[in-house]
Amino acid sequence: MRPELERLHLIEQQLLNGPAALPAGEWQLRQLFDGELAADAAAQQQLYHGLRAAGRQQLRQELRQIHARLYGGRWAWLRRLWPM
Amino acid sequence: MTTSLLSAPPATTLRQALLADRARALTQLYRQAFPAVRRLVQRQGGSAQDAQDVFQDALVVFYEQAVLGTLELTASASTYLVSIARHRWQHELRRRARLPNEALPDESDALAAEEPEAAEETAFAVRDYVERLGVKCRDMLLNFYYFQQPLTQIAEANGYRSVRSATVQKFKCLERLRASVRAAFCTETIEY
Repeated sequence: MRPELERLHLIEQQLLNGPAALPAGEWQLRQLFDGELAADAAAQQQLYHGLRAAGRQQLRQELRQIHARLYGGRWAWLRRLWPM
Repeated sequence: MTTSLLSAPPATTLRQALLADRARALTQLYRQAFPAVRRLVQRQGGSAQDAQDVFQDALVVFYEQAVLGTLELTASASTYLVSIARHRWQHELRRRARLPNEALPDESDALAAEEPEAAEETAFAVRDYVERLGVKCRDMLLNFYYFQQPLTQIAEANGYRSVRSATVQKFKCLERLRASVRAAFCTETIEY
């Protein structure tokens, strides 16, 4: 991977506690020598929060579709009488 | 899988079912647990829409616990789901007693309420940029980071030659998202 992507990978391991996460001391040392690392990590954390929000939105959409399939339409009254 | 979700499957079985075929596993859970939640909510003065909202909130919580491996099942999945929904509905009833003229908060608010307000606002702003990514990138990121699908499954489903190729693509998509969010936030800062 090119260096920019490797950097995303490094930060991801740290934030998501991946198998290649650095020990805390080493991560702090890296931040000392790399002035932008902390800010980049904070920005990447925001991306993960946004992805969670987007994922929830998609899951809700899928659940609405499931609901409509199970309980909407012309047989809905029948399903209400005999829930499946 | 048909019988496994109805009794008390180990959480790992449930997780595998959700990862392997989300639509099928969720449909089965929905069919099994929703009627009980609807009865519960309607017995306590709620509408069919209330029942749907509360149940779907519960299913989102349940899904996240299951795929993140934090779910501990001591009863059947549907019993657990009904219990989450009951808890959320009681919470909603208390909220309505305090604020009788306000409607059920929308889905995002209900689940994001546990997060600090500033973080929540940023998350919603970033969510809009996720929606603007192309379908391929958007699905790749959501399947990996939210739906917790393994990269082997993502690689196979999307025709990548190897997990390595899928990994590189995933980081390219994350880089695109970061660039678009950064550009937007910089513009906002300059405008202020």
